[in-house]
Amino acid sequence: MKKSRMPQYKGIQALYVTLSCISLLQSICILFQATLLAHIISDLFHGTPVEDLYLDLACFLLAFLSRGVLTWVRQKVSYRFAEKTGAETRRRLLDKLFELGPSFARSEGTGKLVTLALEGIAQLRIFLELYPPRMVSTAVLPLVIAGYVFFQDAISGVILVVTVPIIIIFMILLGLAAQKQMDKQWHSYRILSNHFVDTLRGLETLKFLGHSRRHQVSIARVSDQYRSATVRTLRVAFLSSFALDFFTSLSVACVAVGLGLRLVEGSMALAPALTVLILAPEYFLPVREVGSDYHATLNGRTAADNIQAILNYDTVQAAAELDRSSSWGPDSSLSLHGVDVRHQQEAAYSLHNVSFEIKGTMKVGIVGESGAGKSTLIDVLGGFLHPSNGRIHWNEPELQSLVMEQWHKQTTYIPQHPYIFNDTLAENIRFYVPDASMDAVTRAAAAAGLAELAASLPHQYEETIGNGGRTLSGGQEQRVALARAFLSDRPVVLLDEPTAHLDIETEYELKQTMLRLFEDKLVFLATHRLHWMLHMDQIIVLDQGRVAEIGTHESLIRQKGVYYELIRSQKEGIR
Amino acid sequence: MRKEGWLRPYLRQHRWRLTLAAALGTLGVLSAALLLFISGYLISKAALRPENILLLFVPIVAVRAISIGQAVFRYLERLIGHDTVLRILSAMRVRLYHILEPQALFIRSRYRTGDILGVLSDDIEHLQDVYLRTIFPSIVSMVMYGLFILTLGMFHWQFAIFMALYAAMLLFALPLVSLSVTRKKHVRLTRGRNRLYRKLTDAVLGINDWLVSGRKTEFIQAYETSENELTQVERRVHAWARWRELIIQCVTGAAVVSMIIWTGHQSAAEHFSVTVIAAFVLSSLTIMNAFAPMSEAVEKIPKYQDSLRRIAEVGNDPESESGLADITDRQTQSVATAWRQVHLRLNHVSFRYPGSEDRILQDISLDIPPGKKVAIIGRSGAGKSTLLKLIQGAIQPEQGTITANGTEIHELEHHLTQVVSVLNQNPHLFDTTVANNIRLGRPDASEQQVQAAAAQAQLHPLIDSLPDGYHTRTHEMGQRFSGGERQRIALARILLQDNPIIVLDEPTVGLDPRTENVLLSTVFQAVQGKTLLWITHHLAGVEQMDEVIFLENGGVAMSGSHTQLMEQSARYRELYALDAVPSLSQV
Repeated sequence: MKKSRMPQYKGIQALYVTLSCISLLQSICILFQATLLAHIISDLFHGTPVEDLYLDLACFLLAFLSRGVLTWVRQKVSYRFAEKTGAETRRRLLDKLFELGPSFARSEGTGKLVTLALEGIAQLRIFLELYPPRMVSTAVLPLVIAGYVFFQDAISGVILVVTVPIIIIFMILLGLAAQKQMDKQWHSYRILSNHFVDTLRGLETLKFLGHSRRHQVSIARVSDQYRSATVRTLRVAFLSSFALDFFTSLSVACVAVGLGLRLVEGSMALAPALTVLILAPEYFLPVREVGSDYHATLNGRTAADNIQAILNYDTVQAAAELDRSSSWGPDSSLSLHGVDVRHQQEAAYSLHNVSFEIKGTMKVGIVGESGAGKSTLIDVLGGFLHPSNGRIHWNEPELQSLVMEQWHKQTTYIPQHPYIFNDTLAENIRFYVPDASMDAVTRAAAAAGLAELAASLPHQYEETIGNGGRTLSGGQEQRVALARAFLSDRPVVLLDEPTAHLDIETEYELKQTMLRLFEDKLVFLATHRLHWMLHMDQIIVLDQGRVAEIGTHESLIRQKGVYYELIRSQKEGIR
Repeated sequence: MRKEGWLRPYLRQHRWRLTLAAALGTLGVLSAALLLFISGYLISKAALRPENILLLFVPIVAVRAISIGQAVFRYLERLIGHDTVLRILSAMRVRLYHILEPQALFIRSRYRTGDILGVLSDDIEHLQDVYLRTIFPSIVSMVMYGLFILTLGMFHWQFAIFMALYAAMLLFALPLVSLSVTRKKHVRLTRGRNRLYRKLTDAVLGINDWLVSGRKTEFIQAYETSENELTQVERRVHAWARWRELIIQCVTGAAVVSMIIWTGHQSAAEHFSVTVIAAFVLSSLTIMNAFAPMSEAVEKIPKYQDSLRRIAEVGNDPESESGLADITDRQTQSVATAWRQVHLRLNHVSFRYPGSEDRILQDISLDIPPGKKVAIIGRSGAGKSTLLKLIQGAIQPEQGTITANGTEIHELEHHLTQVVSVLNQNPHLFDTTVANNIRLGRPDASEQQVQAAAAQAQLHPLIDSLPDGYHTRTHEMGQRFSGGERQRIALARILLQDNPIIVLDEPTVGLDPRTENVLLSTVFQAVQGKTLLWITHHLAGVEQMDEVIFLENGGVAMSGSHTQLMEQSARYRELYALDAVPSLSQV
């Protein structure tokens, strides 16, 4: 089994020390409990009246309950540790996600990250709650019990001690056999187990093709194949817990029979024999518990590794904040010198040696084939991404990147699908300016062309929208983003393919609103939709991560370079 | 409507297997108790040092046999239990599919958010715990309880009642308390978890906005606060679990002590031999342990209820069970020949969804003779997708008729899939080979026909680049392929189907202009001679259509050929200019 080293969690050493103490105390309780019980039974056997044994009974009960209380303490200690460590890890993970920014979230997949932060952390917690105490018990209890049994009856001690390696060997062998069988049919197994959900997701397509009814038969058939494949695997997989059951109970039986024979011979008294018999199952208990929690801890381990992998990603420290509070104006300038972006070492450059300078308020178009680096450039300009190399100047000071609050406060960002938060329409519009008055919100909404929509909603501006509320159309989503921009009135606007997915009429109307927003602002607009370029003061043409050309629409057409080709290839259209 | 639960029918149907599994489970636990019972008896008997060692022979053999039996019973129980549960899952899957199938075209719009189908499939999966974690353990505990009390009753009925009450605390009282303590908390936890899930998804998807707004810290703090609230609840659930375990310990300890006192009295009164003292006392511990899992088994019930509720919400079983009989070859042959040419007519069609005030479509009339190519343009909500559903026969017009060659479309029922083919935004690629995915268009197609369709969809360069050619597996959701490539595979599928009417439902959304152009060129070439209904949001390519229809507020706002509209409509000219690529001569 592959085992990665467990990350060093804060306070884990202290936890191990505490758990060891608890385990030691527990083993003492177990010994007392067994010895006392054995003596009571033996005394009763030899005819002592019960009334004389009340004190012993009380002591037995005390030992028995102390053991329970110690379990209670142990569970509480490990639970608190798991809870604390889980919360800390989650906080670090969230911080890291924000540091790594949107390009990381895109490449890893939102669903995966969210699942990791919620279920992954939950699994990690279960792991931390179960694993350390189990390990400690397995190390301490059998050792103490075996030692005591040796002291009482050496032969039984030997039987117990010898059983453990046998169990381990068999479990490893059977585990390997099960793994081998899994590997052998893993491929078909995966298909079978995914078949149902695959079919459900493709239900619409099946319906279109006219196969959806017939497919019912194949669901039954595949489910049945899945069942026999699973049962085949389980036949082997359950053998390892069978081995555990088999050898432990056989071992107990051997101990019992051996004790019986020695009692007949008269080489042993009843009380120690009973003690050993009572202790035998206790000896195996920790190993059995490890077995039953195996899967829970396995998931936790995987989650811990995945989380650690994200925490280990390098992030550049946020750029130093500028000392004076500067705001973008007509005299400001922004320049990039030799900016490179690669998402991983050795990977291809997403942006390579990008240099240009922008002054004052103007509209800058960014065009290029898909994969040319348009979105990456917007990410760099928006301060969402640290370039791997190169310098950036905002006015005078030299910066490593624009990832800093001061720059963020200058910008509005409008992507293809602006994210609508699960909140009211007003709160969504207010997002950049949480304390804006209702008056300002309605004005911004009117400017963005949202007034009509708002009036048609049952709760008007208080209507909940977004995931879980009322869904908006693509055009309405863009208008919410525009209203945010109008309300915050920030001097820099970044747009990443804002209209490509909209129908032509909506695009036409939105364009008029957007052009109004662009007035007296610095605008970066990355798009495939070349009609926008007629309104741009400057066009940056990207080709495979490099800046191919910069210029106005007219000058670039005259140049007959990459931009010219781009237009020509789109003009050819559909043949 | 046939309304039946999702548990009872399966319990009834599989009662013998379930009984067998439960019986084996009981035997397993019983053996564990007997092992200690007989061991205790054996040792006590041995301590009397009988002259005839043969007296010990039976218990020695019994101890060994039972020790082996215990492991064997448990193994068989788990195997048979899992087998039965998988049989039940299989039946539930078929039933869920049977319920979902008629709604196929509405699922996307009914459950707008999330992966409802994935959730349902998981729900079915979760229901196996009902059997494995709740029903089996409960049955085993109950049977053990009965046996235990009966055995004691044979010796001494008053004590049997006394112990019955003790065990009842573990078996009935504690689980009920446990359920009432945790039920509300579990509901709160589930709701809280879902809320956190939404919140975090919101944040990750809107990460740019949080960064730009400068409210990142605010978000993290708010998120942590909600997490902490849940942590408090979780802590209480866990604390209860700890206390419960301690209570179980106390009850068990008291039961063992009572057992000791009772056996002491019984043997002193010579009601039974001293040799069974150890047997009774030692086995009582194991037996009490057999009752402990009951609380946990019962506590899980609220979790299943969630899954059951979601599945039940999907709807009831459709009326006819005989769906399978209809789809024999009867139609497949006859329809195919008679319907090579289809004349589609919409006469004054209006539609509104039941219970809704507004008409989605209002008096639409279209005449689409065989081979005509029509583009349908309109905003979202203008009625495009409703129009499509009408043509696919998924819904029926409130007024007016839709006919194909004079027959009303809904009368064609399942034949309709041999008339209309659809290429939509997200065609599903199934987790099988490329060839099999294409062959879904016509299951009896030969290798050559599949390859010919692939060639028409211009898939050859792609397929040549794949490691196993046509036999490359597409992997789940076809993630291996780009958007354009997936559409080509889907196109090959419908080309193989060879239906007279092809519907394109915005198949190029999300593709960049070059890929879009190349894909549409392929489609237009491949479907020559067929009727084409193309729903689109751009005007690029409409020059190639015979008619362009603008839908607005449920009606036709403009229609005509591209040339006509360019001549007649200023609005159309404006839109077309916007969509057109800037002229190269504009210098």
